Amino acid sequence: MFVRMIAKAFLRQWKKMMMIAFTIALGASLATAMLCVMMDVEDKMNQELKAYGANISVVPKSASVINDLYDVGDENISGTYLKEDELGKIKTIFWAFNIVDYAPFVSTQVQLENGDEVLAAGTWFNHHMDLPTGEELDAGIASLRSWWTITDGQWLDEKNPGSEAMAMVGSACAEREQIHAGDHIRLKGKAAEKELEVAGIFDAGGEEDDLIYVTVDTAQELGDLDGKIDSIEVSALTTPDNDLARKAARDPGSLSVSQYETWYCTAYVSSICYQIEEVITDSVASAVRQVADSEGQILNKTRLLMILITILSMVGAALGICNLVTASVMERSQEIGLMKAVGAHNASINALVLTEVMCTAVIGGVIGFYAGIGFAQIIGHSVFNSAISIRPMVVPVVAVLVVLVTLIGSIPAIRMLLNLRPTEVLHGR
Amino acid sequence: MSLLELKNVSKIYGSLHALDHVNLTVEKGEWLAIMGPSGSGKSTMMNIIGALDKATEGEILLDGEDISKKNARALTDIRRDKIGLIFQQFHLVSYLTAVENVMLAQYYHSVPDEKEALEALERVGLSDRAHHYPSQLSGGEQQRVCVARALINYPEIILADEPTGNLDEANEEIVVELFRKLHLEGTTLVVVTHNPEVAEVAQRTVVLRNGRVDREMINENFTGKIKHITLQ
Amino acid sequence: MKKRKMYIRMIMASLLRRRSRMIIALLAISIGAMILSGLVTIYYDVPRQMGQQFRSYGANMILTSEGDSITQEQVEATKKLIPDDKLVGVAAYRYQTVRINDRPVMAAAADLEQVRKTSPFWLVEGEWPSKEGELMAGKNIARTYNLKAGKRTTCTFAPEAETEAQPGETEEILPDNWADFTVSGILDTGGKEEDYVYMLIPDMEKLTGMPTEYDVCELSVSANSAELSQIAEQIDQQVEGVTARLVKRVTESEDTVLTKLQSLVLLVTIVVLALTMICVATTMTAVVAERRREIGLRKALGASNGSIIAEFMGEGVVLGAFGGLLGAILGFAFAQVVSRNVFNSSIRLMPWLIPVTILASVVVTGIACLIPIRSATQVDPALVLKGE
Repeated sequence: MFVRMIAKAFLRQWKKMMMIAFTIALGASLATAMLCVMMDVEDKMNQELKAYGANISVVPKSASVINDLYDVGDENISGTYLKEDELGKIKTIFWAFNIVDYAPFVSTQVQLENGDEVLAAGTWFNHHMDLPTGEELDAGIASLRSWWTITDGQWLDEKNPGSEAMAMVGSACAEREQIHAGDHIRLKGKAAEKELEVAGIFDAGGEEDDLIYVTVDTAQELGDLDGKIDSIEVSALTTPDNDLARKAARDPGSLSVSQYETWYCTAYVSSICYQIEEVITDSVASAVRQVADSEGQILNKTRLLMILITILSMVGAALGICNLVTASVMERSQEIGLMKAVGAHNASINALVLTEVMCTAVIGGVIGFYAGIGFAQIIGHSVFNSAISIRPMVVPVVAVLVVLVTLIGSIPAIRMLLNLRPTEVLHGR
Repeated sequence: MSLLELKNVSKIYGSLHALDHVNLTVEKGEWLAIMGPSGSGKSTMMNIIGALDKATEGEILLDGEDISKKNARALTDIRRDKIGLIFQQFHLVSYLTAVENVMLAQYYHSVPDEKEALEALERVGLSDRAHHYPSQLSGGEQQRVCVARALINYPEIILADEPTGNLDEANEEIVVELFRKLHLEGTTLVVVTHNPEVAEVAQRTVVLRNGRVDREMINENFTGKIKHITLQ
Repeated sequence: MKKRKMYIRMIMASLLRRRSRMIIALLAISIGAMILSGLVTIYYDVPRQMGQQFRSYGANMILTSEGDSITQEQVEATKKLIPDDKLVGVAAYRYQTVRINDRPVMAAAADLEQVRKTSPFWLVEGEWPSKEGELMAGKNIARTYNLKAGKRTTCTFAPEAETEAQPGETEEILPDNWADFTVSGILDTGGKEEDYVYMLIPDMEKLTGMPTEYDVCELSVSANSAELSQIAEQIDQQVEGVTARLVKRVTESEDTVLTKLQSLVLLVTIVVLALTMICVATTMTAVVAERRREIGLRKALGASNGSIIAEFMGEGVVLGAFGGLLGAILGFAFAQVVSRNVFNSSIRLMPWLIPVTILASVVVTGIACLIPIRSATQVDPALVLKGE
């Protein structure tokens, strides 16, 4: 009989029930979408912040501190280098997956035809790598220097044949030396002399505008630096620093075993640095504070902002559902008064009303959940051009939210029903 | 000229003939009761006379004017200007006081006048309850508010649908007493009822059966006093 | 006149005496209005607030001299061209090679209070120099010279001869200037700054015996790259002898990220608002649908559809206005809470948002009421009154 009454209620009141289900679906979709976005926003913003370039720099252990001071520019004079053949190892560390990009640098002093001294830096532009994991990665400054603008020509593309004999020239240097894209320039290094074609002129808005960028091989040949690398810039997705990370950054040795484990297995910038030092012989990896710190700060703020917006929309959704449930149960006072008059107990009326509302809530909740995933994807695609990954966490949170909110929404209505005197209702007041 | 005249009026719902070629005249100042078992067409008739519903066919002349062909808007105007309605379930607006409920009818008719509304409540003996809400009034008091509301605009005709259906005997008598007063003042009354005791005090009783006028009885002893007549 | 009084009396009666239902409706509307005003406030204020956060990336404009050095007057003149609320910090640096333990070290002098603002990412182990006689050593320098916070060290400076030594003449040899310093802290930035020592301007003047002129001036301005370019152009035109350049790495990237962030908040706002408004509408529909019988009664009493709609809409408008006002205030409070928690600063109140919120609430409520009222007025009053 109970089932029959509920089925009847649905059939008879399908319009009203649909409205409740619709509102619950709206609320649930709102909660789902916001939760999905909130949980993924950190990753997405992290990707966006890669625009600021590398957040870790790796140099040889005894790299000269006096580089700048002897007025020889950026050329490495300390005589200590990193090994080029170890570069691939960076993608084998524990947090390899978080390393989104990196590029080696090797610089050497060269002479142009007119005798002007220029610093030539060898690097990767869009170096293609097939990783042992089966992944493919195009690493290099094409993405690490996203703020460069090409004023003439185009980016040097390492995939093109003949790219080894190409170079990119900084705008300041190009202006001084009257170099244009497509020109051929002769660079005379310590060990060799090479003729290169200028692929493009870039404007970096900084000191790099005075440099000529060439491929790693070219720079090594020019400077007789076979297999040697000055420094590596690494761009990694990191977790904002907390107290543990700061403590570890000073001295990993000061951590207890469990702290060490937590630290090592969290993508803090300091633990990634530590892991890079483990795989690159005689290297010091340090966080570029300008990027790493600011990144953490902005990520924290963005996350907090999204959490608060999520809370607001969840409260809104919750109150909205509560409200409608209350309103629609109250509407049925007459029918319920009648049930009471014919001898229904409060408990059985409650059970009936609750079951009805809950059935509706489940239907609405499920529909809303999928709609919410849809909304999240719309947001993901239009803002970040990538799908928002759906965390499994969202399912129970939304489920609990919908059930709880519906229950709470029923409380005032049910209290009202319990206080209802059948005579009053039936006399049409 | 009669105040109200129904000529060959039928109301058909699908295959059901709720009213089947009914003819009826009501004179000005007359007190008419309409009786009949459930489903005989009482309520349909009441709705059609009250301009709440349209007849499928036939002519309805109210004050010499044919209202059967009028549109909903015109019917609304007729209701407002010429008809006072009293319902079995009272239908008072729950959040308005007794006097405000009476003023509501004035509001739609012309201009609300609280003094006049209070006078109307005095006529039904409720001047001390004027500022109570419907939920604070007994059933009889509520129905008396409805009577006051129905007569506030001096309608041509007061139409009551089972006015005592929800009332106990004491209240029933009060309402009937009110009708008598109205009748003496010259108001035209049409009372649809189930209750012989209410019908027998009217001047004339029309009994419906299966949508037709079954018979008509004139209360020859109509004196304004309550008298018991047994119907077959 | 009388009629209008009754109209108002009826509406007020309905609003005040049907308290539980009206509270439900009012609640629904205020939630909608709160989300509207709260999110829109946040949406408009996010770029400003986030822009402040992005200043943690440091200076986004560099001032260099067209001649030898920048004077204090030029710095002041530049400052005047930038609105106060946009200027985060201005730090002018003087670089000079000094010697520590007879080895050359690059020393920088600046107003370190300003440096803290332009380079908030600097991590100092120990303290920033706060008074004369203190210096801060870059991490690499500290390692090389084995400097620690609290240790004392001596810097010497060899002044150059006023005039270039003529060929044949013996160069005039001046005695070295020297000064004692306490190392207050060690600087960790992960960049070139680790190769410098930093001191206060008076110390540098004392050490070199030269009046202060700057080599470079860093500015941190809270503005997007278009605004910055405009400011830079102004500086170039109006301040003699200096060139302003944007730090592309910071400005371009900030534009990219901030645009993303704002479009994220915008989209979220739109989705949340759309869903909330529908939610408000359904609640209002439920509240009005309940009153079908009353509508039927009014019709039976001779009310025209127009006057019924006018009455119910009157209620809706009053509810919408009150709910909107309440929601606008709550929404602003919410935005303020967000701002305080996320950005530690108070939010800018946008007065125009209050009437807009109220208007939006009135419109949404009106539309939400209109649908069920219309359907109720279309129903035969006889049927409604029959008490189904």
